[in-house]
Amino acid sequence: MDASRFADRLLSFSLSDGGLAYYRGNASSAEPTLLALLGLFAVGATAQSTKPLLSWAAGLQNPDGSVGLNPEHRDQGLWLTALSAIVFHRLGLKEARDRALGFVTSLKSVTVANDPNIRQDNTLVGWPWVPGTFGWVEPTAWSLVALNVCGLGGHARAVEGRKFLLDRQIPSGGWNYGNPGINDRELLPFWDTTGLALVALRGRTDVDRVRPSLDLLEKDQEKIESPCGLAWTVLSLESYGRDTARLKQRLLGLLNSLPDDGLNAAHFAVGVIALSGKKVFLP
Amino acid sequence: MKRREFLRGAAVLAPAAALGNLAHGGQRAPAPAPPPCPVTLLPMPDYGRDMGKEIAAVMSEDGLVLKGKKVLLKPNFVETHPDRPINTNPAVIAQVAHACLRLGAAEVVIGEASGHRRDPWFSVLNPKLRSILDKRVICMDLNHGDAVAVPNKGGLTGLPAFFLARPVAEADVLISLPKMKTHHWVGVTLSLKNLFGVLPGIYYGWPKNLLHFRGIERSILDLARTVKVHYNIIDGVVGMEGDGPIMGKAKPVGALVLSPFSLAADATAARIMGFDPRKILYLVQAGRFLPGLRPDDVVFRGENPKRFATQFDCLEDFKRMRGGPFF
Repeated sequence: MDASRFADRLLSFSLSDGGLAYYRGNASSAEPTLLALLGLFAVGATAQSTKPLLSWAAGLQNPDGSVGLNPEHRDQGLWLTALSAIVFHRLGLKEARDRALGFVTSLKSVTVANDPNIRQDNTLVGWPWVPGTFGWVEPTAWSLVALNVCGLGGHARAVEGRKFLLDRQIPSGGWNYGNPGINDRELLPFWDTTGLALVALRGRTDVDRVRPSLDLLEKDQEKIESPCGLAWTVLSLESYGRDTARLKQRLLGLLNSLPDDGLNAAHFAVGVIALSGKKVFLP
Repeated sequence: MKRREFLRGAAVLAPAAALGNLAHGGQRAPAPAPPPCPVTLLPMPDYGRDMGKEIAAVMSEDGLVLKGKKVLLKPNFVETHPDRPINTNPAVIAQVAHACLRLGAAEVVIGEASGHRRDPWFSVLNPKLRSILDKRVICMDLNHGDAVAVPNKGGLTGLPAFFLARPVAEADVLISLPKMKTHHWVGVTLSLKNLFGVLPGIYYGWPKNLLHFRGIERSILDLARTVKVHYNIIDGVVGMEGDGPIMGKAKPVGALVLSPFSLAADATAARIMGFDPRKILYLVQAGRFLPGLRPDDVVFRGENPKRFATQFDCLEDFKRMRGGPFF
């Protein structure tokens, strides 16, 4: 991988305010900025080159430790606080990290009573996209990754969060956005969500519990075509010691061939992290 | 969790003040009676048939002026399954886009904030969709992008504002392009329900659970009051019956439903599906501020709707919504 070329391409999405946009023509937004920071960290970019991005991201932090979408809507998208904690940890902003973790551990999804006819435990607490709503796979997985990376993998919220994710795993493998099935019929697994959930469970979960998901990604890897699907598949399989050489070749080819039109900088950044081999999402 | 059950429980969390506004058989808007809403049924037996010219002609006849305008087409992408017609078919999207160019639109954007699947590769950024589009057509993933806060003109959900994807807020013309499907929470999903996809997931999540908590029907109605839709084209070439909007089966109908009036389009599509729109709660309530609910509100153009009338299979809970014959 030509690290400096990928770093330059990521930085080409940055804007004069210091942040970075999802797509060209958009304003700065937290998620692409945070993932770009991790991508640049993974390829060894200099602190000087990442300083404006980090400063923009740190400036989004609210007094309660949460991090929102952008300066205009800083009370929205608080699920991004977990990703912010990872970035602050990796880039040495300890105080900001601790405040972000304080918010993450205080944010709880709403629970509802179990239905005896449905194989899903609605009483488990995970993390919501929006405060005051139900828990879903992706925000729960990001929060777990943050707690793991920052040395809080044994926290009671992390313990329950892992139960939550395992509960939502589709029996034949993979994760949908939140429910393993409806009316006893399995939902389809999503590649990116599956990869992220596997990374979140790495290290503190019996591998046998997630083997169907790992096997699924390995078996279906040729069907995966999108940058973020391929990137998360590489990140997850590699974190469990499985061979990703072919996948990485495909991901590299894809990232090299993507035109700027329609290129999602956040997904590109995850691709760069995956190709770097640096374990930024693992403790 | 069975989501329908969950939502029944979640409804308890909605603002109590709003509950009095939602009931079957709500009052209709007072007189004077609005002029009839034109609805056109275009036969399209399969997706291989190019209907671009016919679609442009109908839009023009309906008075839709696109010359020099920024047009945003809002299809329905939820998630992708190889065997299920969940999403608006790319052929329909492409033909409508090309019809808009034919009518002189300055810019045609296809934009969607897909409700379940976050990866835009499975929505408007799919290479297969892009490969059949005129190079002038722009595809935008509305889940990940700028949004503007617009005041909620409804008030049923208690949300003070909606964060509307900026390309939607800035479009001169918004065209809703839903799929004709049953829906396991509200009966049917058509043009009005399709507006959930103008709200970015980075604000509302995947799924847009905040709207579920505030009440799906309330959210549909608030959005209908807040977001101006200029035209509606429902993909009924192959719809979805049974456990829609994602777990159902294909139901060929062979028609596109076109109208400048969202409720008229939805009510007509519901009747074609074998449902009485006056038994579908959110359609009834939309009839308090939108024209097109009653059969008398609609004037048909094109094919006789009787040709397409059928009965969509549905979950047991929704069989009470059935009715007809309507045509």
